[in-house]
This record gives sequence, structure tokens and C-alpha cells, in this order.
Amino acid sequence: MNGKRKKHLIRILLYFFMIICIITSFAPILWMTVSAFKPEGEILSYPPQWIPLHPTWSNFAYVLKNFNFARWTFNSVIAALVATIIVILIDSLAAFAFAKMKFHGSKVLYAVILSMLMVPIQVTIVPLYLMFADVNLLNTITALILPTTGNVTGVFILTNFFRSVPKNLLDAAIVDGAGSFRIWWSIMLPLARPSISAVAIITFMSNWTNFLWPLVSVSSDASRTLPVGIAQFFGGQSGVSGSAPQYGPAMAAALMATLPAIAIFLFLQRYFVKGVMMTGIKG
Amino acid sequence: MIGKKRTYRIVPYLFLIPYLFAFITFRFGPSIAGFFVSLTRWNIVGQARFVGLQNFIDLFRDPNFMRSLINTLYFMLLTVPALVVGGLLIAMLVDQSLKGRIVTRTFVFMPYVIMSTVVGVIWLWIFDAHFGILNYYLSFLGIRPIAWLSSVNWAMPAVAIATIWWTIGFNMILFLAGLQDIPNELKEAARIDGASSWQVFWNITFPLLSPTMIVVVMLTLINTFQVFAQVYVMTGGGPAMATLTVVQYMYVQSFQYYRLGYGSAIAYVIFIFLVAFILLEGKFLKKSGDLN
Repeated sequence: MNGKRKKHLIRILLYFFMIICIITSFAPILWMTVSAFKPEGEILSYPPQWIPLHPTWSNFAYVLKNFNFARWTFNSVIAALVATIIVILIDSLAAFAFAKMKFHGSKVLYAVILSMLMVPIQVTIVPLYLMFADVNLLNTITALILPTTGNVTGVFILTNFFRSVPKNLLDAAIVDGAGSFRIWWSIMLPLARPSISAVAIITFMSNWTNFLWPLVSVSSDASRTLPVGIAQFFGGQSGVSGSAPQYGPAMAAALMATLPAIAIFLFLQRYFVKGVMMTGIKG
Repeated sequence: MIGKKRTYRIVPYLFLIPYLFAFITFRFGPSIAGFFVSLTRWNIVGQARFVGLQNFIDLFRDPNFMRSLINTLYFMLLTVPALVVGGLLIAMLVDQSLKGRIVTRTFVFMPYVIMSTVVGVIWLWIFDAHFGILNYYLSFLGIRPIAWLSSVNWAMPAVAIATIWWTIGFNMILFLAGLQDIPNELKEAARIDGASSWQVFWNITFPLLSPTMIVVVMLTLINTFQVFAQVYVMTGGGPAMATLTVVQYMYVQSFQYYRLGYGSAIAYVIFIFLVAFILLEGKFLKKSGDLN
């Protein structure tokens, strides 16, 4: 009887902790959402209200009218999308060579590539800046895309996966007269679909949320990305000193930048989790 | 193996060329070039002048740099233990066979998909000294309003709180994967032998989790040392440099003062610190391994 009661108590305690976890994780997101719909007079009301008395779209309209928000979003989406496609193509080609082909220097080359996992991205920023300035590509979407394509994680994950593909599967294809390119395209890529999804999500997200390089490489508003635009116009340093920050529009912008990511996450949760696990393995 | 035959010899290189071009041009090359830039005095206009290790010597005499270094280490002190221990505890919670564990997992991970600067903007509002929701709820506990982001003492803890909220789900997922790799039979057997829950955790779960622990600690150290975007948005390094971090100082020196050599030297110091963290962790683990 006593043991049963103790078990019951522990269960209740665990549920209590779960609820705490859910509330702490979600409250800031909910508060952002609620605040985005509050009219100007209501946002600074005290005590804070969790339900807007007069919900309005005016903050969203304000953001879209006064800032290049649509343009920033477009730049971010295009840059992340193109970078992801390029990374999957070139990384899977290289990974196939590392995993299934014999050539001189393969081990050394692979080790050099992996060693770059230890080198922080900040080290490359100044040289990249000089390089892109030299070819007049600062302030372009190209500048936002290209540095991502030199990533290491994708090659690492895909090489590991391709190594696990049984040899006789490839031998059978070679006997049938398939060339290397054909094997890559019609055997390796379809087999690797789960790993490729994970690499795609990792690459897309890291480009989508990238901050330092877009901040450095882009200064014109037309080539700005979402993270940089939001930081520069809604961050703590953006307001005129002394005046109250415009929290309503800031929350509307934050919500618009967040909602697509959360929606994609809820749909593709499995792949997100897998992607995280794979970034973990890389260490 | 493909490529054994002579005619195939060139094929591997054809497969490698596109990636190698990108890797060398945008990752490897710039990393090496960064080192050479760090050996020069170079203000974007004018010539680069070779100065040897002078930038590195100057750095350690630069009070602002030392300040940023101490700030960053303080930030790590505030976040790393919470992220590692908290991540493990939440992972163990959602590893129990309870209803609602999937929902909890989803919610805890959700903040991680929000971009760093948006995280900064959200918490800027939550931490607002006069109208912020945090101070309102703290007032129920009898705590007087705290000027979070404009106070020298509270600005860094505030950034730390936002960061823990944002990234703890990432560690939770890694720990969860590690926990689920531990065969259940082991724990069952121990329990049948009369081991308490605590003994099961300390003698079975924890040792078997150590590979995951190594990875989580390393990634957390590496990521927290490079903190930048949240700080840029929430405090801009202030007040009075209380939240100036190393990466931000590198950004300021390189792209606001355009001291490219000096900025590159800071970037290489970041690199040295990351290597030091990795080596230290390895050494620490070896030591604790000897004890067992």
C-alpha cells in the first residue's frame, strides 16, 4: 500500500514538472503572439493582459508598410533554399567518392576536411569579406549563399551513411553496366533520403538563422536578411534613446519571422530531431 | 570498390571537384588567410603591414578585450551547467513512460527553431523594466522591479536566461537519444536485484551515458563561447560593456573600426580557446576514467 502510494506521488510530481516545462517553453512564444495583436494603446497596459481586448492587425500592417519586411523574407528564403540545394548536390557527390571510391590522398583529404569542424566560422569572416569586396559581390544574395556551400557537416553525415551501403548492391549495379554517376543518382541518393533530409534541415536552418556573415556582408536594405533586418530595426539599440521601444510592431515582426519555422518544425519534427542527433554525433 | 580499374581513376576527382572548390574557396582558404591577416596591421584603406605577433600581444594588454573575455566566461558559467544538467533532467523526464512526454518534448524543443535575433527581441520585451511581464510576476513574490537589461549586474544573467530557454531543447534531444540507446534489460536486471532508482541511475545510466555527455558538454562549451546575436539585439554589449562578448568585440574591431588585422587576431584567439576547451575536456575525462 505504502509503495503504491509513493509511486502515485512520484507520478504526480513528474506530471507537475512536465507542465512546468511546457509553460516555461511556451509562455514567451504565446506572449509574443498576444502582444503582436494588441493596439498601440493596449500594449503597455499594466497589469499585462493575456487576451487582447481589441485585437488588431495594425502592427502587421505597420511592419509591412514601413519596413522592407517582405524583401528580407524573400532574401532569406531564397538564400537558404539555394544554399541547401547546392550543398546536397555537391556534398553527396563528394561523400560518394569518399565512401565508395579508392583514390590517392583520400584519407588525408578527408581528415583535412573534418579538421575544419574545429575551426570557428569567425576566423573566415574577414578574409571572406575582403574576397567578396574584391569581386564586387558584397550586398548580393550570392554573397549570402556561397560561404554556406563550403560546409563540412553535410559531407561528414553523408559519407558515414554511404559507407553503410552494402558493397554487393553496388557490384550488382556495376555488372548491369551502370556508371558511377548513374549509381550515385539512382541508387545512392534514393537510399540516403533520411540522411539527406537531415542534412537539408541542418543546412537550411543554419543559413536561415545565420547572423554574423549577413550582418557583415550586406549593408543595403534590399539585400538584407530577416535576422539582420529584425536585429537592426527592432533590437534594443534601434530605438531613439529615451523613447519607448515599439513593442507592438516588434512582436508582429517576430511572429511573422517565427511562425513559418514553427509550422515547418511541427510538420517535420521527426527530421528535425534526427538532424539534431546527427549534429551531435559530429562532435 | 569502384575506381579499382584504371579507366575509373579520374572519376573520384570529378565527383570531388565541385565540393572541393567550395570548401577550399569559402572554408579552408579563408581560415588560413585569416591567420596571415592576423599578423598584419591593416586598416581597410591602405596597405597591410606585417607586424608578427604584435596584435596578439596587444590583445592581452587591451583592457576591453580582457573585459570581453571575462564577460564571455561569466556567460558560460551562467549557462553551461544549467544547459547540461537541465537538459539531462528534462531528457530523463520525457524518457519516462508517461502520457504527454511527446508533447513536452515538442514544446521544450520549439524555441530552438526561432532565430537568434528574434529570441533577443522577444526577451527584450519580457525583460522590459517598466512594462515587462517578468517583473510583473516577480512582484507577486515580493521582488521589486529589476532594470534587467540596463543594469550592470543583471544584464548578463538576463541574456543567459534567454539563451537557456532558447537552446536547452537541443541538449534534451541529444541526451534523449543517448538514454534510449541504453538497453532496458540492464536497468531491469539491476532493479530485480534490489537496486534503488538512484543506484540504477548512478551505476548504470550515468556511466553508459558518458559518450553522449562528452558530446553535449563539448557542443555547449563551443556554442556558448561564440555567443553574439542575442547580445547584439538585447544589450548591444552594454550597459558599460557589461555584456560585451568576444565575438562581438571581434565584430566591432573588424567592421566598425575596420582594424582587420586586430579583428582577425581576436578570431584566432577564439579558435585557440575552442581547441583548449576540447583538450581540457579530453584530459578531464581521462582522469575520471583512471579513477574508475
